[in-house]
Amino acid sequence: MDFKTLLKKEFVFLDGGMGTELQKRGMEAGKSSEEMNSEHPEWVIDIMKSYINAGSDIVSANTFSSNRIKLEGTGRTVEQSVKLAFDCAKKAAEGTDTLIAIDVGPIGQLLEPTGTLTFEEAYDIFKEVIVAGKNNGADLVVIETMTDIYEVKAALLAAKENTDLPVLCYMTFEKSGRTFTGCSVPAMALVIEGIGADAIGVNCSLGPNDLYGVVEELIAWTDLPVVVKPNAGLPDPATGAYDIDAEMFAGYMKKYAEMGVKIFGGCCGTSPEYIKALIKALDGMEYAEIEAIIPPAVSSYAVTVDITQPRIIGERINPTGKKLFKEALKNNDIDYILGQAIDQVHAGADILDVNVGLPEINEKEMMVRVIKALQGVVDVPLQIDSTIPEVIEAGLRVYNGKPIVNSVNGEEKSLNTILPMVKKYGAAVVGLTLDENGIPKKAEERFAIAERIVNRAAEYGIRREDVYIDCLTLTASAEQAAVMETLKAVKMVKERLGVKTVLGVSNISFGLPNRELVNHNFLTMALTNGLDLPIINPNVASMTGAVRAYKLLANIDKNSVEYIANYSGDSTAPKAAAVKSDITLEYAIANGLKNDGARITGEMLQTVDPMEIINGHLIPALDKTGSEFETGKIFLPQLILSAGVAQACFDVIKAKLAKENNTPVSKGKVIVATVKGDIHDIGKNIVKTLLENYGYTVIDLGKDVPEQVVVDTAIKENVKLVGLSALMTTTLKAMEDTIKLLRENKVDCKIMVGGAVLTPEYAGKIGADFYSKDAKESVDIAKKVLG
Amino acid sequence: MHKLNRAEALRYMGYGNNLPDEKMSLLIDKCEEQLLAAAEPKFVFAVFDKDKCPVSLKGKDIAEHLEKSEKVVLMAATLGAKADRLIRTAEIKEMAEAVILDALASTAIEQVCDNAEKEIHQSFADYFMTWRFSPGYGDFPIDIQGEFLKVLDAPKKIGLCANSSNILTPRKSVTAVIGLLKEKPEQKKSGCQSCNLKGTCQFRQKGERCGF
Repeated sequence: MDFKTLLKKEFVFLDGGMGTELQKRGMEAGKSSEEMNSEHPEWVIDIMKSYINAGSDIVSANTFSSNRIKLEGTGRTVEQSVKLAFDCAKKAAEGTDTLIAIDVGPIGQLLEPTGTLTFEEAYDIFKEVIVAGKNNGADLVVIETMTDIYEVKAALLAAKENTDLPVLCYMTFEKSGRTFTGCSVPAMALVIEGIGADAIGVNCSLGPNDLYGVVEELIAWTDLPVVVKPNAGLPDPATGAYDIDAEMFAGYMKKYAEMGVKIFGGCCGTSPEYIKALIKALDGMEYAEIEAIIPPAVSSYAVTVDITQPRIIGERINPTGKKLFKEALKNNDIDYILGQAIDQVHAGADILDVNVGLPEINEKEMMVRVIKALQGVVDVPLQIDSTIPEVIEAGLRVYNGKPIVNSVNGEEKSLNTILPMVKKYGAAVVGLTLDENGIPKKAEERFAIAERIVNRAAEYGIRREDVYIDCLTLTASAEQAAVMETLKAVKMVKERLGVKTVLGVSNISFGLPNRELVNHNFLTMALTNGLDLPIINPNVASMTGAVRAYKLLANIDKNSVEYIANYSGDSTAPKAAAVKSDITLEYAIANGLKNDGARITGEMLQTVDPMEIINGHLIPALDKTGSEFETGKIFLPQLILSAGVAQACFDVIKAKLAKENNTPVSKGKVIVATVKGDIHDIGKNIVKTLLENYGYTVIDLGKDVPEQVVVDTAIKENVKLVGLSALMTTTLKAMEDTIKLLRENKVDCKIMVGGAVLTPEYAGKIGADFYSKDAKESVDIAKKVLG
Repeated sequence: MHKLNRAEALRYMGYGNNLPDEKMSLLIDKCEEQLLAAAEPKFVFAVFDKDKCPVSLKGKDIAEHLEKSEKVVLMAATLGAKADRLIRTAEIKEMAEAVILDALASTAIEQVCDNAEKEIHQSFADYFMTWRFSPGYGDFPIDIQGEFLKVLDAPKKIGLCANSSNILTPRKSVTAVIGLLKEKPEQKKSGCQSCNLKGTCQFRQKGERCGF
């Protein structure tokens, strides 16, 4: 028997709870089910045998906790733990054709960004368990009780890349319809089916009566066989007894069979009796197979964007033609890129394009870093944009969701390299209508390439709905006649191929004055011709507005809901507070008026020297708020608010200097880092904000920073002041070690330390030059050291 | 949770007994609204006879804390991952809001613990309760965090884990031990004595208390 053959049955039956059954037999609180494989193998065998006798087609070996993190301190290796579990399972299944699954539960630590475990570590941990399962004769892999789709992705990839076994994935939902980490059902379905699991479902957390909504949504978003494996209701907090008995459970489960569920089982609180009752209840029923009509869609872990109407792809995460962005990439200034992302999302971007290509940097490493950082702060889906296949693959691997790949084109080499990646990671893809012969002039020829791309994608098993064709925008100033050809091609592709279309819009106006006007009109024309995914600068209000207005006029935005939500109360009249002569830069800083601060700085720059603005206005204003903070006249939030205004002013100055090819203003470099083992970084970030606003270049190494990284960076960047932060008594040791290593390497720098658990005495004892009691004092220290 | 203890949050922001101006108050209102929308408070607890507690209660401070207790309550609470995300995002674009959100979230998680305590008290109405004593206080080792969470099945029940440095994730979370006893405990809520920060605490320097 194998899983494929099993699926020919009307319904497939799994087992029920293991932990609760072990407790019944006497397992003590605080013990793990995994320990019972060696302590009481007879219990484990007995439970599994009872499930097999009850009619389970598949049983899970008792390996839910057999990963190296959960086994820590038990003295057992993963290989040993899995072997013990399979010894039990094989004995139980002896003489039957019941399939045995390697059961893979959550690692027990959270992945980034909420936790600190990396995706790569998670993959390794899962790989170890799954390979051990394969070596012990597992028939399939069950990945279950997951709340983080990122963790599922790591496990699923580990299974697919290291075995040929079928994989079943179940996640655990709350009554809200989401998991603890915020994963939604569509996101789960798109990722898990995309990467190629063999069945998908839900288990644990709730009883069968509470999961109908989740399962209904899941069935609508997947073509895979659906699994339902609920708890026996909810446990009584005092006694631990579950409130749904076997007959009730079976009754509830019948409805799932009617809804189209294929695979059934039970989780916590269910016993062989439940499985027996379940099988009896479904006897005589037929599998209600439903073909889901899944819309074209991409997704982050939480937000799914269906492409059934025009959606905006933000283009700003791209260094092309942007000096400050290039600087940020060279300086590893990830926060700058994150800022660009947040701005675009606020402005109305539905999806963000991510391009970090710059010859001087390692694009692959940067893509991974940026994607990981982006998914920690924005929820919109991403479009991975690179000309280098390795960069695309690296991005696809670590992305937590279903992204778009930008791009493949009609060249054989491109088709053969990019499409397999798109298929493997379950992404969508942009297909450029060009090939070995360049960009064809005629719409018909571009259509022909589009058709070729769509067909080739289908050969690789990529759904038609996941191919978005880009008919290519040429520059109007250079190739004026080509504009209408592009639009014609868009229309042809949309109508005849029936796939979604994408266009980079801004390129149309290159070299022309008043670019916004041309962009805006071209966008509207393209939308009317069937453009689904305009790639634009969403921060330009008229561009985002054009898409919204189009959706209203095209009767897509029903009752103008989206339009009104965005524009009601909007007034084109100038804001009263911003009358020019009203306020000074000093006033803006003292009162936290960011926009005014930036505006005034811009105006001043026309007549005043940048350094004069910094030294004559910004710094004195900051000093004033600083001393008011020290004397208790203002408090931390106000101090930081003022710093934020100053930052906006600095940004204006920096942008101007960059434009004029002047070197950026800097009073010297400072490293800030939260030491190894510690992840408390808000204090460090406050220090960073303040230092930057006094004109220092801050190299932020982040949190949990290894000692050697601090040393290497200090040497490489020739940094004269290093700031270290630690918030826990347990991580002070790492701070001491970092200082020691800096001294051993004879790094010519001063070291300041701060953090709630430090005292000036302790700072001295571990060899720091300065103890900084708060962010303000760190600026005083920087002035002392760097001037 | 519909409202946060503003006085407490202001103390965390360093206001002491001072009040923010009107503009700042509006900003704090806005942040509070955002935080309450993002917070997904959850808690879990389990009660054991003191001599049967499956978590090893090491150290003299916890022993002293539970001296007269008959039972011990292990509790864990979290605001969830979305609150962390909100603060993280604010740190990129608006540090002042991040500072405010962080203080509000610290206030919120304490309120979640207060609610948990109320529920515990309802189930054990004939007992008095000690205050909450967390791993990492005094000499109560923080490295029991993993064991503590495992006993409560906290990863599965409320999505709360500890990382390899024993830091709770999501970040705005608490684990604590409460003693249940038959006689009224001495009002020893002078938490400063058992607090690791007593030497450096900025509240204490100003003659204030953090509320612990």
